[in-house]
Amino acid sequence: MAFAPMGPEASFFEVLDRHRESLLAALRRGGREPPSGGSRLASSSEVLASIENIIQDIITSLARNEAPAFTIDNRSSWENIKFEDSVGLQMVSHCTTRKIKSDSPKSAQKFALILKILSMIYKLVQSNTYATKRDIYYTDSQLFGNQTVVDNIINDISCMLKVSRRSLHILSTSKGLIAGNLRYIEEDGTKVNCTCGATAVAVPSNIQGIRNLVTDAKFVLIVEKDATFQRLLDDNFCNKLSPCIMITGKGVPDLNTRLLVKKLWDTFHVPVFTLVDADPHGIEIMCIYKYGSMSMSFEAHHLTVPAIRWLGLLPSDLKRLNVPKDSLIPLTKRDQMKLDSILRRPYVTCQPFWRKEMEIMADSKMKAEIQALTFLSSDYLSRVYLPNKLKFGGWI
Amino acid sequence: MEGTAVAVFEILRFLIIHWKCDIDVSKGALLEGQLVISIEGLNSKHQANALHCVTTIASAGTLFGGMVLKKFLKEIQSILPGISAKLTWTSEEGSYSQDMTGVTPFQMIFEVDEKPRTLMTDCLVIKHFLRKIIMVHPKVRFHFSVKVNGILSTEIFGVENEPTLNLGNGIALVVDSQHYVRPNFGTIESRCSRIHPVLGHPVMLFIPEDVAGMDLLGELILTPAAALCPSPKVSSNQLNRISSVSIFLYGPLGLPLILSTWEQPMTTFFKDTSSLIDWKKYHLCMIPNLDLSLDRDLVLPDVSYQVESSEGDQSQNMDPQGQTLLLFLFVDFHSAFPVQQMEIWGVYTLLTTHLNAILVESHSVVQGSIQFTLDKVLEQHHQAAKAQQKLQASLSVAVNSIMSILTGSTRSSFRKMCLQTLQAADTQEFGTKLHKVFREITQHQFLHHCSCEVKQQLTLEKKDSTQGTEDAPDNSSLELLADTSGQAENKRLKRGSSRMEEMRALRSARAPSPSEAAPRRPEATAAALTPSGREAREAHGRALAPGRASLGSRLEDVLWLQEVSNLSEWLSPSPGP
Repeated sequence: MAFAPMGPEASFFEVLDRHRESLLAALRRGGREPPSGGSRLASSSEVLASIENIIQDIITSLARNEAPAFTIDNRSSWENIKFEDSVGLQMVSHCTTRKIKSDSPKSAQKFALILKILSMIYKLVQSNTYATKRDIYYTDSQLFGNQTVVDNIINDISCMLKVSRRSLHILSTSKGLIAGNLRYIEEDGTKVNCTCGATAVAVPSNIQGIRNLVTDAKFVLIVEKDATFQRLLDDNFCNKLSPCIMITGKGVPDLNTRLLVKKLWDTFHVPVFTLVDADPHGIEIMCIYKYGSMSMSFEAHHLTVPAIRWLGLLPSDLKRLNVPKDSLIPLTKRDQMKLDSILRRPYVTCQPFWRKEMEIMADSKMKAEIQALTFLSSDYLSRVYLPNKLKFGGWI
Repeated sequence: MEGTAVAVFEILRFLIIHWKCDIDVSKGALLEGQLVISIEGLNSKHQANALHCVTTIASAGTLFGGMVLKKFLKEIQSILPGISAKLTWTSEEGSYSQDMTGVTPFQMIFEVDEKPRTLMTDCLVIKHFLRKIIMVHPKVRFHFSVKVNGILSTEIFGVENEPTLNLGNGIALVVDSQHYVRPNFGTIESRCSRIHPVLGHPVMLFIPEDVAGMDLLGELILTPAAALCPSPKVSSNQLNRISSVSIFLYGPLGLPLILSTWEQPMTTFFKDTSSLIDWKKYHLCMIPNLDLSLDRDLVLPDVSYQVESSEGDQSQNMDPQGQTLLLFLFVDFHSAFPVQQMEIWGVYTLLTTHLNAILVESHSVVQGSIQFTLDKVLEQHHQAAKAQQKLQASLSVAVNSIMSILTGSTRSSFRKMCLQTLQAADTQEFGTKLHKVFREITQHQFLHHCSCEVKQQLTLEKKDSTQGTEDAPDNSSLELLADTSGQAENKRLKRGSSRMEEMRALRSARAPSPSEAAPRRPEATAAALTPSGREAREAHGRALAPGRASLGSRLEDVLWLQEVSNLSEWLSPSPGP
């Protein structure tokens, strides 16, 4: 495969290559088993049968003059979530549940909405068509009230049926972008080449469907913000440090962006690094990619990449690089609370270097955006910071 | 309303005022005691086509301990100069003591000649008055009997052990809804048996300068209270709508205000429906209801409005009976000085003759206070209606979703299983049954979501898992209703139906029935006058069998009318007991 040979010399990637080797060795040692719980990719007939079983149960309850109810796992409860270094956050096997009753004034409406969305999923699967969560909301926005209601119910259904959202024929809207040394073929046969140019490629909406992924990338760089991503595009970063892949979720990542990162790791075992702001929000976004989120913990096996490393911007970099204090921002109360919350999470205990960085931030009570590096020079990020970090292993 | 009724009103009013003012009853304590009122009418020897009516008002128990009886008699005679009646007083020998703890039963008798039809009207009016009194004086009991040419009817008016709301100042409002609105036995839904009044802000009333009267050493304070009846706190499958408004007027010490314009109760103030509140805010169009028949066993309002129905009310799901908005207006007299009983009497007279002018003069404050109170009540109604609509919508969504899956399924075993489970022949019947069973189950649970039944609700939720095994159609539903809505409901529903059978038997056989069942009968004797009420045929407002009471009193009124219509027998040359 011929890509434009614009990158640095081979020795530049020595540390990266060694890092990749260690990651592969760890994978071999871990002997990671296929996920036993959580959601899976189910066939259409399986999904239809599951929904019909639910309806049968409801009708049986009604025939017995019992008010039917759904039993839903408490996805967003810490008591139902465990941490495994190899997986990240995932739901425990016997988790607590709650009942959505049809005869309770508080939950009757939710009961009805769950049935409504189940019937819509049934139709989508039967007709082999797809819809996004947004599409579903807009079928009857007055009934649903707001998008969050729809999102939560879809996640509950996915968790209840133990099938992936994709199997429910519900797509999440992709907002992420990808650029660099990667090409693939989408489900419908479209050939996509993400080679760096002036524009990036949108993350496809059907990650499970893409095939024939090809790359020579030495690393994958996850960029928190679109602004930073665009800046790197403008600075021709992908070619300067080719072969590499750059991806952004534009803040909190959508499901498809996370699925793509996971797919790239699973397929190529290329080292994945994050470039986030030196603030609690950036750290949390990084944790989502690496360990997953509480709300999607039931799908952790398909979404998390525990091998992710924190490349920058590290709080310790601010002092090391003498970033001007003018470019630093005091932590708000909300930042403090978020930082405290992250420090209490189970995965931080096995990341002593991350903990140390967060403690530096907490002690200084200051945060900084990646853009703070422009105070050093306008292209400091792409010309100096990132290349040095990657060449000399400046990740944790 | 003529002599007998007027005299009874004045005497009772005076007794109650005296009771509160001259006897050392603490301000907040409720009046407690029993009074017996009996009217005996015989063909008058002095007037043709008239009855000579002897009315006796007697006390029972320690009602008037400490009262100076002679003084009382003198005062009351001065109050009743217009009554061409002989007023006599009898009491036990040696009981003229001012000893506060002494038992002083007394008896007052007055005599009036009246036409039979006038007497009948007077009796109905007196009953109405007694009902209104006990609604705010729940510990007072009246035994009322009427004997006309030997034919006796007796009623007891008492609401002991019924739920009340203490309003302070020595009165408490009875909150059993069956006193205000007749329950609709036609529907299977049941509602909360209580009203939940909302009290408004007290406001001072202004007396117009041109209103002749005494100089008050105090203020007239109006306190409104409002409630919807039946309570909207319990949802049913039917949408609630307000169909009527009933206004009850009370003066100082909880005495019903019988306006001097009794025959024309709709005073100027109330004739203008917008005087009270802005009804349009709640999409209500009110029209005065002048059809206030006395011939009912409910507490009759002093003012009544009907809500003009709109197109929305014609929907299938709308409750045909609707709810009644109850508005109680309590006018009290507050003074920094000890209030004398004649002062209270004067205030009462002022209100009965000039209420309209006073309300018009105080229009803005009255309207503000009532608006605030009704806003709270109607807001609750509005929220309840919204919750009900939400529930109905949820039900439809659930049913439609299931139907969508069923009709769209290509798996015949699944479809067959669903149809068989609900014993439906086809999907159309399945849909109907599905809707019905969903509605019954959700309604069954929602019926118990009433704030005054919290304990029962908690018990019911704990039994959720076994609810299916307990439930069965109809009978056990009634049982479950009893658990959560109070014993009274179940007994009312059950006894109501058995009562109907008894009434039919009574009418056909005209024979004595078991003691509790029968109302007044022609063969009843004077023993029915005893205050203990053992021979009493009905008990108004008894929670244990209000349905029985309403059915019984309906029959009683029918019998009474039948008897009155046979006046020719009574006026025959040889009448007599």
